[in-house]
Amino acid sequence: MATDSTTEFTLDTAAELAGEEHGAIEGKSPWLLAWRRLRRNYISLGFLFLFVVIVVLCSLAGPYARDIAKTGPNDNHLGETFVRGGKNVNVVSKGGFVGGQFHAGGVPVGPQLWHAGGRYVFGADNQGRDVAVRLLYGGLNSLKVGIGSAVICTLLALVFALLAGYYGGWADWIISRFFDLIWAFPVLLLAIALGTALSINGFHHFGISIQSGSLWIPTLVISYVLIPYVGRPLRGQILSLREKEFVEAAVAQGASPLRVMFSELLPNIASSVLVFFTLIVANNILTEAGLSFLGAGVQPPNPSWGTLIADGQSRIVTAPWLAIIPGIAIVLTVLSLNIFGDGLRDALDPRAKVRMER
Amino acid sequence: MVGLLALAGALALVAAGCGGGGKKSSSSGGSSSNTGKTYPLLRVVWDAPDYMDPALYYTVAAFQIDNYVWTGLVGYKHVSGPEGATLVPYLAESMPKISADGKTYDFTLRKGLKYSDGRPVKASDFKYSIERDFKMDSPGVGFYSDIKGVSGTNGYATTKKGQIAGIIADDAKRTIKIQLDNPRGDFLYILALEFSHFVPTGTPATDQSTHPIPATGPYMIKSYTPSRSFELVRNPNYNNQIPTMPSGNPDRVVGKIITDPVAAYQQVVSGKADYDYQPVPNDRLPEAQSKYKDQLRLYTPANTYYYALNNAIPPFNNIKARKAVQQAIDPNAIISGIYAGLGRPTQNFLPPSYPQYKKIDAWKFDLAAAKQLVQQSGTAGATVDVYGPNEDPSKASTEYLANQLSKIGYKPKLHLLSHQVYFQTIGNQATKAQAMFTDWFQDYPHPLDWFDVLLNGERITKTHNNNPGNVNVPSVDKEIDALKKFPTITPAVNARWEKVDSDLMATYATTVPYMNRSFTDFFGPQMNMSCYLYNVVAYWDFGVSCKK
Repeated sequence: MATDSTTEFTLDTAAELAGEEHGAIEGKSPWLLAWRRLRRNYISLGFLFLFVVIVVLCSLAGPYARDIAKTGPNDNHLGETFVRGGKNVNVVSKGGFVGGQFHAGGVPVGPQLWHAGGRYVFGADNQGRDVAVRLLYGGLNSLKVGIGSAVICTLLALVFALLAGYYGGWADWIISRFFDLIWAFPVLLLAIALGTALSINGFHHFGISIQSGSLWIPTLVISYVLIPYVGRPLRGQILSLREKEFVEAAVAQGASPLRVMFSELLPNIASSVLVFFTLIVANNILTEAGLSFLGAGVQPPNPSWGTLIADGQSRIVTAPWLAIIPGIAIVLTVLSLNIFGDGLRDALDPRAKVRMER
Repeated sequence: MVGLLALAGALALVAAGCGGGGKKSSSSGGSSSNTGKTYPLLRVVWDAPDYMDPALYYTVAAFQIDNYVWTGLVGYKHVSGPEGATLVPYLAESMPKISADGKTYDFTLRKGLKYSDGRPVKASDFKYSIERDFKMDSPGVGFYSDIKGVSGTNGYATTKKGQIAGIIADDAKRTIKIQLDNPRGDFLYILALEFSHFVPTGTPATDQSTHPIPATGPYMIKSYTPSRSFELVRNPNYNNQIPTMPSGNPDRVVGKIITDPVAAYQQVVSGKADYDYQPVPNDRLPEAQSKYKDQLRLYTPANTYYYALNNAIPPFNNIKARKAVQQAIDPNAIISGIYAGLGRPTQNFLPPSYPQYKKIDAWKFDLAAAKQLVQQSGTAGATVDVYGPNEDPSKASTEYLANQLSKIGYKPKLHLLSHQVYFQTIGNQATKAQAMFTDWFQDYPHPLDWFDVLLNGERITKTHNNNPGNVNVPSVDKEIDALKKFPTITPAVNARWEKVDSDLMATYATTVPYMNRSFTDFFGPQMNMSCYLYNVVAYWDFGVSCKK
């Protein structure tokens, strides 16, 4: 099926493009063709591998904390010591007034790597908490929020886009104004406002009760504020697809609106959704980090990479690893998702212009 | 009871007493003019004052500036050491005559007093100033509830009409008579508060922060731009009219308002300012100590950091549960780790600078024993809503409490709130907070400002409760009420206050005090540190500062 090369982006397009690649495409599904293209993109696959490694490491937070670091993510060790090379080392340096003299303290121990039997591999924070343990748990929380909010955001955006695009008219007008309403606020400011308000008292409306401090709060807030950023482009594609012959044919055969939306339109935007999803996960992890850094995301004492950076910034001179290590974790995760997302887009449609509009 | 907001002390939001006196050493004597060390300009980096109007301001940031601008009948000696808490006459000619029943105070104003705009200072200005406090809903009006004609359904506090019957001013004779319904041992200290400072009759009963009110002290405010800057210049009509306070060394004080401690510190390091009001950030303390040792001073104002436990509801209506928490907290660990060592451990509610202080040593940090006590109390496994501010170091201190509670067998649920709403939230009974971070910096150096305001069960309120732990020990409440009536402090009275402290902290384990926090004063190299004066009430005394 012919397609224009502006914004429309379907699996048919992928099939057409595959034909241009001097390879036989007969009997090959568009997905298989995309996979063939993707697997030749070693950089993308390398970063996908990196992302998988990060996810696996974060998933092992529990066993690591229990069996290696032997401490929980929120357990403080102020006033305690640990053994390194047969010597007792303060987790956080002691300070105070001794004999009228003041000694500045409070500097947490730096990264021990494996010199302390797996304890304080990345050092401690100012409450004597194990940074490596918090990094893994923080990563788990960041990934949960990032992926969870991307799933919710994408699903909702998809439903809105299908309704608006298929029905048009009033349905389109209402949904578009809803998108406009959200879009009228700077995304981060809206997220901060909602996150701050909800993190104080939680959400207890419409028979739904979410306690303050729950990961659901940043997850839902991020989902909500980013809906238009996914929904708008998808709606545009549906509007365009709705006019195609195959849709008219389906309608002529008596297909119900639901069938048209989910059996005809949805498969044709699936690749776009997939690309959006990978990109928005990366975007949401960044948003979560920003919100948590500002105190409007994951709530203490629960760690997230954003809260770890926030905790570390007050010790940036004497304990720079507190902010640098979670910063690196965020960079690697987001970079891996973005590069993989770009590769995925190129594989599905090298000419597509699907972008996150911000 | 009206907004005794000094609970916001995590940011040192404190109204301390008034400035006065004028010695650079701790030697006795209450009178001084300037020291002959005047200099043209002092550049300071300051915290944001809440207001620049004596009826409204209630922060140390404002008080430290304004105690040299507006003054009251009495004020504090400008000396270091415990004597700095001594009251001396300011606008009053001498200390008042107090009637035998402790209910009447007679003052006479000094002769020839003038405001900075040249107007004469009149006895009736005092009455006007107090009435203005009420008209403006000043946070200080609660201090005046014992003045005759203030309380009750027809009292001035309710009607805000007519006059306060208990203040009788005679402009011709320069006399002021204050009559109280009940004797009140801390009343003279209340007269030293900023809310008792004189403003000219007719000053609008609205916030005048940006329209400086004429001053009675050595300086006047030339300009104030909220959140940005202020400038003090000499009061041209001062003429050393208050000989009990210094006339000030700098001719001009220019203040830049910077609330970020890192940026504030950097201003001094880079030579753009002579003084940093903000505490040196923990991260920079080692540098400040090694590189700028001579420019750094540490001080411990009268403050107590404590965890309030809600004595009224489970699990902390159980004394064993409260004692368990006391034993689960390691003050040295908190001070070392969270406050970089800037603090001194305590088990007392009263700070050590008070003559009523007697060191309490009733419990020891012992997690195993604490856990056992929790088991014995039958409260193990209880969920505890833990509240604290959401900014470090208070946040870290609250997280520490929550973690310790979890270590001894509770299930803590952490609620971290913005400073702006924190104290209102925990002061509201509907919140049902069970364990809380809190602190207190004195309004004035008298035990009533601690025990009566914070731990007297008779003063528990539904909202704006200054006793968020709902501490209510009837026998101690009675004793506080009895001690309130003593107009003077004697060794026997002090001993009774010591017992109040010990009863509340050790015997009934009502709260968990853990630290008297210390702070820093950081100066530029051009300041002459031999002139440094720290006053227990007014902190660093810029008026007696000098340059090399």
